[in-house]
Amino acid sequence: MRTKRLDVMATVMLVVLILSSLHMMSGAVQRSEALDEWFMPLLLFTVTGLVVLVVLVGWSLWQLLRDYRSQVAGSRLNLRLVIMVGALSLAPVSVVFVYSLQFLSKGIDGWFDVQVDSAMEDALALSRVSLDLHKRELLKLSESLLDSVEDSSQAALALTVGDLRERSGALEVSLFNQQGQVMGLSHQNPEVLTPSPPTRHMVQQVSSGKNFASLVPTRDGQLVVRVMVPDPKERGLALQAIYLVSDTLNDLTTNVQEAYEAYRERAYLRGSIKFSFALTLSLVLLLGLFAAAWGAFYTTRQLVKPIKDISEGTRAVAEGDYETRVPMPRVRDELSFLVDSFNEMTRRIAQARNIADASRRQLQAQHNYLGTVLGALSTGVMALDENGLIETANPAAELILGLRLKQQNGLALAGLSRLDGQLEPFVDRISEGIRQGESGGRAEITLYREEGRQVLLCQYSPLQLELGRPGGHVLVFDDVTELVRAQRDAAWGEVARRLAHEIKNPLTPIQLAAERMRRKYLGQMDPEEGDVLDRATNTIVQQVEALKTMVNEFSDYARPCKMESRPVRVDDFVSEVMALYEGQQSRVVFQPGAGSAAIEGDPVRLRQVLHNLIKNGQEALPAEGGKVYVTTGLLERGGRELAQICVEDDGSGFEPEMMDQVFEPYVTNKQKGTGLGLAIVKRIIGEHGGNIRADNRESGGARVTISLPLRQTHDSDETSMSKQQTGARS
Amino acid sequence: MIRPGMARIRLVLLCVLHFMWLEAAAAALSFDEVTITLGEDNRIMLDAQLGYELNETASDALQNGVPLTFETHIQMRAVEAWVWEADTVEFRVRNVLRYRPLSGLYEVRRVGSEDKQVFATRASALRYMGRIRELALINRAELDESAEYLVRLRSFLDIEALPLPMRPMAYISADWKLEAEPWEWQLRP
Repeated sequence: MRTKRLDVMATVMLVVLILSSLHMMSGAVQRSEALDEWFMPLLLFTVTGLVVLVVLVGWSLWQLLRDYRSQVAGSRLNLRLVIMVGALSLAPVSVVFVYSLQFLSKGIDGWFDVQVDSAMEDALALSRVSLDLHKRELLKLSESLLDSVEDSSQAALALTVGDLRERSGALEVSLFNQQGQVMGLSHQNPEVLTPSPPTRHMVQQVSSGKNFASLVPTRDGQLVVRVMVPDPKERGLALQAIYLVSDTLNDLTTNVQEAYEAYRERAYLRGSIKFSFALTLSLVLLLGLFAAAWGAFYTTRQLVKPIKDISEGTRAVAEGDYETRVPMPRVRDELSFLVDSFNEMTRRIAQARNIADASRRQLQAQHNYLGTVLGALSTGVMALDENGLIETANPAAELILGLRLKQQNGLALAGLSRLDGQLEPFVDRISEGIRQGESGGRAEITLYREEGRQVLLCQYSPLQLELGRPGGHVLVFDDVTELVRAQRDAAWGEVARRLAHEIKNPLTPIQLAAERMRRKYLGQMDPEEGDVLDRATNTIVQQVEALKTMVNEFSDYARPCKMESRPVRVDDFVSEVMALYEGQQSRVVFQPGAGSAAIEGDPVRLRQVLHNLIKNGQEALPAEGGKVYVTTGLLERGGRELAQICVEDDGSGFEPEMMDQVFEPYVTNKQKGTGLGLAIVKRIIGEHGGNIRADNRESGGARVTISLPLRQTHDSDETSMSKQQTGARS
Repeated sequence: MIRPGMARIRLVLLCVLHFMWLEAAAAALSFDEVTITLGEDNRIMLDAQLGYELNETASDALQNGVPLTFETHIQMRAVEAWVWEADTVEFRVRNVLRYRPLSGLYEVRRVGSEDKQVFATRASALRYMGRIRELALINRAELDESAEYLVRLRSFLDIEALPLPMRPMAYISADWKLEAEPWEWQLRP
């Protein structure tokens, strides 16, 4: 800003200096002697100053055109204003210039009227004629003087010359011989001892026999007539006489001469004078034009600046910069009011933006908080919009339902059953509740998944985001399968424990009493009665043993087991177990497929599982034909790598009505079974973190599939595990 | 007599405008004869005769009453002197030639003195104007005998002495560039 102010001041100073220079030049042209010798330096300074001014104007113009081409804010308005001001300045100045020049030219031409010219010429001619007449008279006088000289000897001449001068009234008379020697001299001033030497021209002219007469000025400006005549008597003499011109004639002649010379010079300089005035006028015109142009640039820049600033400010606001502020103009006018209003507007927008940002941040924080809380919940939470589309679902919901819901955009609740048909009961129940417009509800929904039965405890309620406008529903559901099973297992376990305890106590006395009876009375009875007693007591003892076995199994089921986990290579383990079933008539076939995969487990408990399943399979086989197939493999489910052990048989398969209760305790289709085998197997598998599933093969026969999580192995562990396996075999 | 300040300014003007001058009229003035002698009183004397020849433009101006001022600039400086050092000797001889229409005579006036001569013919006036007789430059004793000195003569028509209206055109017109080729001579005291 300070630099710009200095630039303006410097330019104004330059214009003032050029103007002053032009003023002085004008004075010089008007014949001011003091400025006469400064004319050319002033002219040079003025031209230089104008060139600088032209450069400044040109620079401003270039900047304006550059801004115009770059579509800088305010440049178009600026250019229009500059053109307008320029045109307004140029027109009148040009008119004044043209007319001034015309008047000047005509005025100068008016000085040199033909009549004046003629009068001057005539005056000069008259003066010449008058002087010529005077010269002729003096010539004649001089001739007569020389003619009157009788004695041409030097002595006589020296004496005569004084007389001649007195008679003629001349200022000086001198006589010369042919060699140019002075023969005599007489001067009005006796101190003058040498004559005025005749010029070569005079001598030549006289030598050729012609007279010479000339009007010459003396040093002090007095006119004299200088005459030289040859001797008419041809005695080789020449007389030179200098006559003073009378004061009157002198003055008149001088005046005429000076006037004529001045007029003549001025007439000659007419063109130059016109040119000088025109030059000065042109410089004034140029100064006026370029000063006006520079002024136009400066003024329009000042006027347009606030508008340009506002335009740039508007652009900045449009690009999102709400902190921009337009500088206030120095002058308080409508433009400053506009700028003030703009600044106020942007300030308020910035405020509103800041508030909106704060709200957004708060909302984001709450969203993150909610997301974190929902993500950490073990309960599944799902939000549906008013159209039944799933808006949000937390990770627990995905885990419980076994689906990746985040990848499904715009999925409806009903779409869940399309993704996984096993979720149909869940979808139907919830949809039914929503459709009936219930204000909220609870439901316990049982799903039959591949891993087995899954019990979900659901709660749903409507969402109301805006008053009077339905906003969808929120579902909250928990997988209570394990809870239910644990409750049931606990209950069964308690029953089993109590039953075992209550039943086991009387069994021994019963057995002992029967054996005592047998010992005491069998020998005393007749054979028939003895046989009856023998069979009866045997039956009592056997049944008591059977009851004891059943009670022990109940105790085993009820007692919590202690796991001793270690790495177990699946294929190696199963092969080890299969070794017990090898033989020519073995109807158990093993097909390994797990490679070197290993799990973390209790080999004793796992062995119990395998034996139980194989035994069940063998018992289900028909009398002739059929086999039990044991296979291992690897699979990935839910991002986890699992080892799979599958036991299939060629039997009749599970009965359909028992399918969902196969792993329940005391459920059996065997006449002699306790119904705890598969329940114990399921518990052991559950304790290993795995899943067990039972179904019937398409080709017939039952299939039980166990999935166990793989162990994350390291190289050292590989070595350790192989040693443990070897140790176990030996 | 021209003030030194104005002389410098004029020199600047001449330098600035010199590029606009053409060579056409350079031969109007010439140094016909220049003699440097040692006088009896151990003073170095200069005698010179310049030849003046006016072109049509200058003649026309003279005949129309415009006085023409011719300047002869005589300098003497040590050859090894720096640019900013003053001249050892410097003279400017200025003569004004004027035509008197009434008497038909040519007047030559030496500026700075009362010397004024009239001549019936222009040639005699020009010849008189170009004459420099026994101009004492400097006493030999004032010079450094081990140094070499350069004597330089220049003669030209002084445009600044022309009437003001004529000057702008005179500066840019070749017809007014009446200037003799500088004459130089090195001497050792």
